[in-house]
This record gives sequence, structure tokens and C-alpha cells, in this order.
Amino acid sequence: MENENFIDEAYKNEIGFYAKSIDTEMSIYERMKIKKSTVFRIFGALGIYALVMGFLTFIL
Amino acid sequence: MLELIPLVIVLSFLFETMDSCAGMGFGTGLTPLLFTIGYEPLQVVPILLISEAITGFTSGFFHQEFENVNFKFKRPINQESRVMLNIAIIGCLAILLSVFITYYSVKFDKTIIKTYVAILVLVMGLISMFKLKIKSKNYKPKLLTFFSALAGFNKGIGAGGYGPVVMLGQIFSGIYEKTATAIVSFSEGIVSLVGVSAFVLIPVIQNTSIEIDFLLLPSVFTGGFIAALISPYMVRVIPNKIWRILIPVYALGIGIFVLLKLYVL
Repeated sequence: MENENFIDEAYKNEIGFYAKSIDTEMSIYERMKIKKSTVFRIFGALGIYALVMGFLTFIL
Repeated sequence: MLELIPLVIVLSFLFETMDSCAGMGFGTGLTPLLFTIGYEPLQVVPILLISEAITGFTSGFFHQEFENVNFKFKRPINQESRVMLNIAIIGCLAILLSVFITYYSVKFDKTIIKTYVAILVLVMGLISMFKLKIKSKNYKPKLLTFFSALAGFNKGIGAGGYGPVVMLGQIFSGIYEKTATAIVSFSEGIVSLVGVSAFVLIPVIQNTSIEIDFLLLPSVFTGGFIAALISPYMVRVIPNKIWRILIPVYALGIGIFVLLKLYVL
């Protein structure tokens, strides 16, 4: 069992493992779904954008 | 006064979208285009570096969020983080080399070195297209180190084309296209940050001043930032087999564009 876990971990360490699994295991419709936490992070990024633009308005 | 230029916003958005989706084109494509429109090097180069530093990190973060890549910086760091750091360190050394070359005024024939990079990108794009049918690819770290060093050398001598060579080099080395894109985006963020620091620190060290015009920054940043949010999502949703075709075709386009810009336009 321990050995199996080791193999599993080694496989997950392979480059592109997650992207490949998502591509093969999910349909396009499933890939289009966005997690709630990601939506919050997108709004967070937009907040950073607003701050940078505010700063630029201030200095330029 | 903050000024937003619609044409620059649209161009930045389009080139950053392709840069974050296909790992290349923001510097190689947008810089000569802005020069053609009539902007000066000091209005363009530092602004693109500042924008690319922010959008590179943003795009890298959202590539991770959309699971195109899995960076892990806690020890032991994983393969993807190691490849990204490898590419970023070589890129940083290249940027410092290019500053050193400029500082000591070492002259290269710009037309010759830019032609060499355009032909290199064209040949790599063509080889990638011929290799489309090969499905199983094993990761070859030595080959990747070679291409990173080659791209770094090109950037160091001022020939550009860092993104296309590193991106296609990763594909040749057996890295999955979606992950390769994410790795290039994040590493370009680090390299651009070092570039910005060089722009700020060199005049301070030399006790001189450099006049950077920030006119384009709000427009380039706006277009680039929106693209950096959308592109990782596009990379996740669109199947990898599309990116496998699109990336070499886009590289061919960039190579042809650079040659046309040098000899025809």
C-alpha cells in the first residue's frame, strides 16, 4: 500500500500531470465551470487592477 | 493626466492573450508594432517590461488556479517549479548580459542577429508542425536546458525571441503544451521584474538619469491585465490538441512578421 502511494506521488510529480488529467477526464462543459474561490480571486485581481490604475492616476 | 489609448489597449489585449495562451509574442510582436505606430523606444521598452512583470505573475497565478500547472515551492519543489525556475534564472542572466553589453557598447549587426532569431523560430515552428503526429513524448531535461540557454543567449545579445524559443524548446523537450504555456508566463514575470530593476538601478549606479515616458503604461497595463485573467481560462477550456497546432502556427507567423519587418516594411 505504501509502495502504491509512492508510485502515485511520483506520477503526480510528472510535468503536466494535472493539465493532462483534466484534458482527458473532463468534458469541455466540465472544464468551463469555475470554482467559487476562483471567482473571488478574479474579483481580488480586479481590485488590484483598480488600485494600480488609481495609483497611476495619482502619479501621472 | 491619465490617458487611455483605445488602439494600444486593443493591441496589448490581443498580444497578451496570445502570449499567455501560446507563451510568446508580447515582446516580439507588440514592440515593433508600437515603433511602427510612431512611439519611441523609451516610451515602449520599459513600459512593456513593467506590464509584462505584472501580467506574467497574474497569468502564472491564474494558470495555477485553473490547474494548467501545479507549482509547488515548498521543499521538495516539484518538476514544474524546477523547470520554471531554471528558465527564469537563465532569462534573468540573459537580461543582465544584455544590459552589460549595452553598457560596454558592444556592437552587433542588429539585422543579422534578428534575421538569425526569426529563421530559428521559423525552423522550430516548422519542426513542431512536422512532429504533430508523435503522441507520446518523454521529458528531456538536458534538451530543455540547451533551449533555455539558447533563448537566453539570443536575448542577451539583443536579438529577442526569448518566448518563442523557450516555448518551442519546452515542447521539443516533451512538456505538455498547456503546462509549457503556464511555465513561460510565470518565468517571464520574473525575468521582466529583473529587467525593470535593471532599468531603474543602472542609472542610479552610473549616477545618470534616464527619462522614461509613462504615457503608454495605463493602456498597455489595461489590455494586458484583462488578457492575463482571461487567457489561463481559455487554456484550460480549449483542448490541448488545438494548442498543439495553434502554437507552432503562431510561431511561424511571428517568424514571418519579424522577417517582413526587417526586409519589407
